[in-house]
Amino acid sequence: MLLDETLLSRLIARALRHGGEFADVFCERRNTFAYRLQDGRIHDASCSITLGVGIRVVAGESAGYAHSDDLSPDALMRAADSASLIARTSPGGQTQAQTLSAASVSSLYDDGERREHADAARYVALLERADIAARGFDPRVVAVNAHLTDELQEVWIATSEGRLVADRRPLITLGIQVVASDKKERGSGYVGDGGRTSIVYFDQHTPEELASDAARIAVVNVTAVPAPAGEMEMIVGSGGGGVLLHEAVGHGLESDFNRRGTSLYSGRVGERVASELVTIYDDGNLLEERGSINVDDEGVPGQHKVLVERGILRGYMQDTLNARLMGSESTGSGRRQSFRFPPQPRMCNTYMPNGDQSVEEIIAGTRRGIYAKSFAGGQVEIGKGDFVFMVGEGYLVENGKVTAPVRNATIVGNGPDAMTKVVAVGNDSRLARRHYTCGKGGQYVPVGVGMPTVKISAITVGGTQGGGHG
Amino acid sequence: MDESSAVELARQAVTFAKTDGADSAEASVSIARRFQVEARENAIARLEDSTGQSLHLRLFRDGRKATLSSSDLSLGGIREAVRRTLAQTQCVSADPFAGLPDEPAAENVDLDLCDRAIVTREGAEKIEDALALERLIRQADARIVNSSGSHYTDAESITAIANTTGFAAAYTATRTGRSTGPVALDGSVKRIAHYGTAARRLDELESVGSVASTAAQRAVDLFGARKPATMRVPVIFERDVAATLLEDLFAAVSAANVAVGNSWLIGRLGERVGSAGVTISDDGRLPAKLGSSPFDGEGVATRRTAVFEQGTLRTFLYDTYYARKLGAASTGNSTGNGIGPNNFYLEPGTISLAELIADTPRGVLVLDTIGFATEHASGTYSRGARGFFIEGGELAYPIDEFTIAGEYPAMLAGVDAIANDLRFDAPVASPSFRVAEMTISGE
Repeated sequence: MLLDETLLSRLIARALRHGGEFADVFCERRNTFAYRLQDGRIHDASCSITLGVGIRVVAGESAGYAHSDDLSPDALMRAADSASLIARTSPGGQTQAQTLSAASVSSLYDDGERREHADAARYVALLERADIAARGFDPRVVAVNAHLTDELQEVWIATSEGRLVADRRPLITLGIQVVASDKKERGSGYVGDGGRTSIVYFDQHTPEELASDAARIAVVNVTAVPAPAGEMEMIVGSGGGGVLLHEAVGHGLESDFNRRGTSLYSGRVGERVASELVTIYDDGNLLEERGSINVDDEGVPGQHKVLVERGILRGYMQDTLNARLMGSESTGSGRRQSFRFPPQPRMCNTYMPNGDQSVEEIIAGTRRGIYAKSFAGGQVEIGKGDFVFMVGEGYLVENGKVTAPVRNATIVGNGPDAMTKVVAVGNDSRLARRHYTCGKGGQYVPVGVGMPTVKISAITVGGTQGGGHG
Repeated sequence: MDESSAVELARQAVTFAKTDGADSAEASVSIARRFQVEARENAIARLEDSTGQSLHLRLFRDGRKATLSSSDLSLGGIREAVRRTLAQTQCVSADPFAGLPDEPAAENVDLDLCDRAIVTREGAEKIEDALALERLIRQADARIVNSSGSHYTDAESITAIANTTGFAAAYTATRTGRSTGPVALDGSVKRIAHYGTAARRLDELESVGSVASTAAQRAVDLFGARKPATMRVPVIFERDVAATLLEDLFAAVSAANVAVGNSWLIGRLGERVGSAGVTISDDGRLPAKLGSSPFDGEGVATRRTAVFEQGTLRTFLYDTYYARKLGAASTGNSTGNGIGPNNFYLEPGTISLAELIADTPRGVLVLDTIGFATEHASGTYSRGARGFFIEGGELAYPIDEFTIAGEYPAMLAGVDAIANDLRFDAPVASPSFRVAEMTISGE
């Protein structure tokens, strides 16, 4: 443990000395090793150490927060004092800190290999294999950039409610970017994978397989035609298409936006918010997934949450602060980037379960549309629910057949509107390869997404082809 | 901690690296006190006051580079981390371009980066700033019924750099910011706007009243927005959106992208790529601006670099590594771990944004974009957007749920009018400007 129990108890007592209903101490040690390949060579290696403590006091609707990377008791007491000031400026109750009692949790992470970092040579070998495979895939491949990051985050969380819990979270990511060119056009493809596991993961999910897929997408994009512009049908591919759920619905169901009434989903639990084909879960308990957590960053175990069931809104993702103020319970969704940040309600692994149509049926039933097999990123505006997505690998669908690949398509729409336009859900639900990171309020956390093939009856595609002069 | 102890710590880390076998090394130590308050309605939602410290170390052995970043600044912690980082160099390929700068050490000029008024400001005043924003956005329009929070932030930070060539220097800088997120309700439609600003000096920060009224206007302005038809029209980018286009241009002139083939400007040095109005500079020496500093992340003196002059591409922007690789000289744009902007900005024109709109018979004013899809290799730009349709030189009606797309070569050549509303509230800044024709996609 980073700090002993006696010091943790003293910090909590100190933090609550001006009042407040709740206090917690979040201790973190994180070591990250990273290697980067560029131009066929290992370009650099890096080591990153995050070590520190964050102290929070909650008084009514207000939170005081302070962090320290100096672990001396004096510096930590000063941080507790800074956090305690909130109780002077904000009305709130008093609480007596409970005696700390250690809780144990079972692990969702693959401990197949002991969680120490492997030899540098083993990481580097993966990158070199990826480079060779990508270059060997097609003569049009002109550049390969790959990175491997292996991190071990250890956290210890102590709360004024007496909870004392530790978590030891591995996270490994191999990312491969390939650029292909036929002298006239360039195209790029990105594939990333890994999870809360160790380097042995890549024995099954080989760098050759991942690099070939990235190279395949890059080559497809070289031959792609400019995206059409205007309104059309959209088929969202399984797996990575889950980014759509994350952006278009997920963020709007985080409890901070709903307690404050800034989300369009505020106060709508029990109401129809999507087509009855739509069911959405958020799950912190999936084995090895990036977004999985044995406990969240407030010490609450991860959970399986039903967000939307057959189109009906069932509930929000809660952290302890917002849950208390909304008269609800934490759903194990309190997450933070590091000890430097207070927790926020966040998604873990967000996905849609199977529907009953085959992919072939869905494609055959589409007259004119875009088939977005994967997205390169997305963003949402919470209030009205407008979103935008960049298509990573996309194709035109014409008269029930997949035809030409398209490049640089941007999809724009409105979350609640798109969810009512879900007209077909496939039977091929799967989680995407594990490389997604979600940003909110300046904090970045690893997440997972998943989805079956889904058809949306109308969406706006932005491109440069089509449209008369204004 | 003060500047001299930060320099001492950086020197210590460099000494450890050298003792343990590095040929050369550079350490930067950053110590920052940050204050942040968020208000909602008449209460404080969040109050944060912390001092953070971090060490970044680059070390080289036999032309192999490894880097360390750590928040553990204990001497024992640094020593252990340095050993591990050195061990990592073994697996890195030797690179003839890797190493410390050759340039003589930068002189430490005073650029007026530290405002005592921020350092000594009372906590109560800062809290009142955030509370006032909450009050004023609600007074600005009856439809503003809620907010996602109003913020006041400030920071005082020390940056110290030392390396094995003997360079050792530090500077202290302040920054402050105000922002707010009003939520407006019209029937069942909810809209959130975000507006904020930042500065090095408190007296250069946009006032509470002005931030509140701009934010409030942005929240209510777009009610009744329609989805426009798909068409090609002139597009005016309001300055905050224009700044995001300048960020794309920065990426395209960054030598790190040029070196790996990821820029549409490759092979076009000396060519006319923009219209005559396009003059873009990178200047690290503007007094009291957010992108200013006496030296960059590897101790190289900052300077003014003309990047585009009347549409002609004059140079890319370099750190030491990419300068060597591409046969150029550093332009003082190292972040310590890559290439970054100093003050990178488009030269303003002479007319106001209002006059620019009045000069546009038919077109689109873009106030906000979402997404970040720019393909730097081809220069393809595409975003979701919101704003106004312009008819007869006037804002006719609000529009949203459309995308805007184009190619940077055509967009830069198509810049046909630039407004006079430049301000430096971020290292990358731009006045509003108009592009003669772009594709918008809606219905």
